[in-house]
Amino acid sequence: MAVVTAAARVLGSSRGLGQDGLLLLRRLGVRGLAISHPQRQQQHFSSLDDKPQFPGASAEFIDKLEFIQPNVISGIPIYRVMDRQGQIINPSEDPNLPQEKVLKFYKSMTLLNTMDRILYESQRQGRISFYMTNYGEEGTHVGSAAALDNTDLVFGQYREAGVLMYRDYPLELFMAQCYGNVSDLGKGRQMPVHYGCKERHFVTISSPLATQIPQGEDALPGPAVGAAYAAKRANANRVVICYFGEGAASEGDAHAGFNFAATLECPIIFFCRNNGYAISTPTSEQYRGDGIAARGPGYGIMSIRVDGNDVFAVYNATKEARRRAVAENQPFLIEAMTYRIGHHSTSDDSSAYRSVDEVNYWDKQDHPISRLRHYLQSRGWWDDEQEKDWRKQSRKKVMEAFEQAERKPKPNFSLLFSDVYQEMPAQLRKQQESLARHLQTYGEHYPLDHFEK
Amino acid sequence: MAVAAAIACRLLRLHAAGAGGHWRRLRGAGLPRGFLQPASAGEDAAQWRRVAHFTFQPDPEPLEYGQTQKMNLFQAVTSALDNSLAKDPTAVIFGEDVAFGGVFRCTVGLRDKYGKDRVFNTPLCEQGIVGFGIGIAVTGATAIAEIQFADYIFPAFDQIVNEAAKYRYRSGDLFNCGSLTIRAPWGCVGHGAVYHSQSPEAFFAHCPGIKVVVPRSPFQAKGLLLSCIEDKNPCIFFEPKILYRAAVEQVPVEPYNIPLSQAEVIQEGSDVTLVAWGTQVHVIREVASMAQEKLGVSCEVIDLRTIIPWDVDTVCKEECFLNLEAPISRVCGYDTPFPHVFEPFYIPDKWKCYDALRKMINY
Repeated sequence: MAVVTAAARVLGSSRGLGQDGLLLLRRLGVRGLAISHPQRQQQHFSSLDDKPQFPGASAEFIDKLEFIQPNVISGIPIYRVMDRQGQIINPSEDPNLPQEKVLKFYKSMTLLNTMDRILYESQRQGRISFYMTNYGEEGTHVGSAAALDNTDLVFGQYREAGVLMYRDYPLELFMAQCYGNVSDLGKGRQMPVHYGCKERHFVTISSPLATQIPQGEDALPGPAVGAAYAAKRANANRVVICYFGEGAASEGDAHAGFNFAATLECPIIFFCRNNGYAISTPTSEQYRGDGIAARGPGYGIMSIRVDGNDVFAVYNATKEARRRAVAENQPFLIEAMTYRIGHHSTSDDSSAYRSVDEVNYWDKQDHPISRLRHYLQSRGWWDDEQEKDWRKQSRKKVMEAFEQAERKPKPNFSLLFSDVYQEMPAQLRKQQESLARHLQTYGEHYPLDHFEK
Repeated sequence: MAVAAAIACRLLRLHAAGAGGHWRRLRGAGLPRGFLQPASAGEDAAQWRRVAHFTFQPDPEPLEYGQTQKMNLFQAVTSALDNSLAKDPTAVIFGEDVAFGGVFRCTVGLRDKYGKDRVFNTPLCEQGIVGFGIGIAVTGATAIAEIQFADYIFPAFDQIVNEAAKYRYRSGDLFNCGSLTIRAPWGCVGHGAVYHSQSPEAFFAHCPGIKVVVPRSPFQAKGLLLSCIEDKNPCIFFEPKILYRAAVEQVPVEPYNIPLSQAEVIQEGSDVTLVAWGTQVHVIREVASMAQEKLGVSCEVIDLRTIIPWDVDTVCKEECFLNLEAPISRVCGYDTPFPHVFEPFYIPDKWKCYDALRKMINY
């Protein structure tokens, strides 16, 4: 090891050893150096052999100058199982799921849709501060959630409520978070739609975009990758799934996440919801390549593009990706093409940047809920009568949960101070006490009536 | 530059030459004994580059933690990491170049001992390193991430401030990344210049949710690092790189903890309080001696150790403002990026600290 350090100093490289250093040390035969690329073979140094010897790529020489043309006219094809009318195209691709399961798909998507309508309205009426709908993307949530195990860890961005819905997260808790009331597991700390649930293995949503990716919200993929690595080490037979939009995929954290997942061989599914817009920014201003799926191979990642509005296509792709990710300890990238029918959020009016006709096309001609309903009806598993009943029932359930959530108080103000650290530092306790004293004198100027005593 | 670094390592063990003159006595530098002559301009120029601005003062051998061994600071770090990986099977160490032992040798031998799934290189991407570490910690496993130089921590700033620090709070304690520790070499080293000398703790000092720790010595480093690793909150541990080889003392072989958020009064005094952390503690220790000797002033020397959450009670009482006989004086680097050749003028050396103290006494 002294040789290594000496070499580093002699070569004056300020960030560890450069390529020179590695070459020097290879020649010196220092133990433990060539192990950094287990998949690459040690190349034989023969002067008679004209093959490339570069450690950085496994490729042949070419003597013709030719740039690779990115193919965006005829990009990676989109896998689908049903046509736009919900008819199976290739029967061998039909997952042939039992009626009960497909009905659960349908009910999850429609209940989510109903909840979205009511909560969007409630924001408009000033009852909650903010909301984001999932219109048009319900298929991506439910198809993927159904293909996972219940214990697979989910890192979402912010438009994946259907995953929680499929995992039977109660309406009461969705509402509690949006209202930030005493029942909110998040203790009222975040804006609406920042759900989290430990027992359903759904990591709490955060706002900064793409931060969840390295971790495993906008959270970037990094943390998801780290969680996958830990799951691999623990032999947990779990996969981590990380959802993000095509906009978040532009973040540096996405690049970091993909690269780490591939080099560290993590069992993770990167699920990109390509819905055409990042707030007002269309995909033509977000990237120039062939979407997100085309980036996967650049990192050495198995990749596929699917019709996100086809719940069976999403299901099949996720199921197979999960099986192989766990079996082979490698990442998979699924780009689910879909369309964001709703506005970005209640703070957005998308008529400012897209036509109503465009939106209507997707709402009427290619909606994941309609396509699944047609499938159900053609199987004889659903009819108009049941549709009417279910709509009434789901609306009633949502309204009940909504009214109850609205009546509950917010948590006690002292919860402003807890969970910063595992233990409360002395300074923070002093601040908490100082607020309590302040409220004794000035309490009338604060909305104490809405907060639990 | 590389050669100067090698010699500087040996010279740092010598006491800095006394004030005045360009006469230098060179010992252990491969030159004949008694080599004492007026230095030529060239030699003189080379020498001022190599002499440190402080003298490391080892603490007395600790007796309460069992057998000790002579270790420098990077060896003390290795020892702490070794202890951690031995007792916590979930613990992993990762970052750039940690597999072969690290650019400062802090992880030497660990990959061979614990396996390549526990001590491994990552791609060159600090935001990825920290994000990845957060994810490991979210599952409950212990993540020890290395950032190669504190100067490169900034791409990870978003992950640290917006994610790690807020994970527990924003989820209502459903999730946390408390088992994450980030380590980084820190501070001036004589020739590090703009991007190998920075002390960025101030950027994190007002971020609730993380802890930031800076040790002054090998014994302190091992105990504090072990506390950071075991602490249930994400921690950043900055290691004064100039002390990696220069600081040598007896360090217990077995694991032990030094508590976080507790400053240490190294020397009691009654006239002036001097507060510092990391390398600077040794500077102010010397300033305290100079003050006693030349001014008859009794100084209290405090090593802050944890920057956030910091030990307010030890350093000052809230009411102390009315008891101060002079305004508080801060002696720091200037409001410029860290320079290269100007380092001797830039750093808050003992003469500047002494001068500030002298002015304070005469306020």
